[in-house]
Amino acid sequence: MGKAQTLEGISLTVSDVSGQKLFKVPAAPAEATVGELVHSLLSKMNLPENDSNGQPLAYQARVEREGRHLHAAERVGDALQSGDALTLQPNIDAG
Amino acid sequence: MLENDYQFSLLLFRKDGSPLGSASVNVDWEPAVEATRFLHARHGLVPFCGEGTAYLQPLWDKLEGEPHIRGFRVIFEARGSRPVSSEFPSRYFREAAAQASDEFVKRGKLEAGETYLYQAVAHRNNGAVPANGAGFLLEAVEQAPAVSLSQSCLKDVQSRSAPVGVIDADDMPVFIPRRILDEVVTLTMQTEHQETGGILIGHLRRDMALPEIFAEATAQIAAEHTRSSATKLTFTAESWNAATAAIRLRKRSEIFLGYWHSHPVKDWCASRECSLEKQKQCRLAKDFFSEDDCAVMRAAFPRAYSLGLVANNTATEGVTFSLFGWREGGIHARGFHVLEETHA
Repeated sequence: MGKAQTLEGISLTVSDVSGQKLFKVPAAPAEATVGELVHSLLSKMNLPENDSNGQPLAYQARVEREGRHLHAAERVGDALQSGDALTLQPNIDAG
Repeated sequence: MLENDYQFSLLLFRKDGSPLGSASVNVDWEPAVEATRFLHARHGLVPFCGEGTAYLQPLWDKLEGEPHIRGFRVIFEARGSRPVSSEFPSRYFREAAAQASDEFVKRGKLEAGETYLYQAVAHRNNGAVPANGAGFLLEAVEQAPAVSLSQSCLKDVQSRSAPVGVIDADDMPVFIPRRILDEVVTLTMQTEHQETGGILIGHLRRDMALPEIFAEATAQIAAEHTRSSATKLTFTAESWNAATAAIRLRKRSEIFLGYWHSHPVKDWCASRECSLEKQKQCRLAKDFFSEDDCAVMRAAFPRAYSLGLVANNTATEGVTFSLFGWREGGIHARGFHVLEETHA
């Protein structure tokens, strides 16, 4: 309760790990899970979903306001506030 | 944003030209769009970053005609600028063809390692809209990140540097201070039996007189919270956090230019009991960038100016360097300039 959000959803800015791909999300659905949101964002931001072996890449969403990584199962409406900045950070192997 | 009215697929053939079949492919267009935008941004024709729309246009094969293509064109439009375009040959589909060939191997129609040929084709989508797997509609609008391209004279910087490797005039000029390379050598030697790495940070600069954009590295940040072995270095979410925090602490408006990591080649070769003579010729000893290395570039450094530096720790030449960067939507070995810094 009390978190600023529009009826349509939560306004966010999202960047890739380098900070060079920056997107504005006007209305992230509050009922979605963070995992679902990240999955959708990867597509919108043209970030790869799989590694070089075709295995899913594990991305973590870091919310700047709290300086923590969100759990995939958290509900967007519970974890995020309008105006939050998210960074998508992959665990990825160089060979 | 990418607008694509076509479905691209590949026809695969055996080496003798006999058909294997067709395969629908999921092509990663982002590097081509990035390459188009950045090439023209370097020449001052479109904004360096921010919102824009890219369109794909097949280039029909002049002999075979539609639907056979010899490549494709990316047309990029940004508000306030004229549309710009770049053409890409059909070798852009090489990776997609390799994935498709794997399927034919699984089906027993092609032997593993057997040579194959491919022909890309394109058909209009007929209004079909790709499904959104997330189950909800999400709008996301690209914004311009806070990157300032400071004015600088390329010739001045070149005069303080020496070229390393093959410099391709079409590549964005890159300058790396010797100090950074020395640090990389030290870190590589300290962990010589395992891979180690870090983030290259610095500035993009613009020489309006040419016009041209070039990159100048200012520091490397040794990666923290990584997991490493002799053949692998895992960058974790905590690694990226630590690098971002270091940039903020430095307060110099630097950006992520790319990453570096070591290849303990002499250990790799020793484990295979390769002779020194063989090690001199080893393809892993120089300009080797694995599929995993490319995947890091694609996931973490997708911008067309991004760099991947490899420190090759060899038995015969000590630590040598190979630099990789994006070119025409692919990742290639490239030359760079070693910058000699002057201190007052």
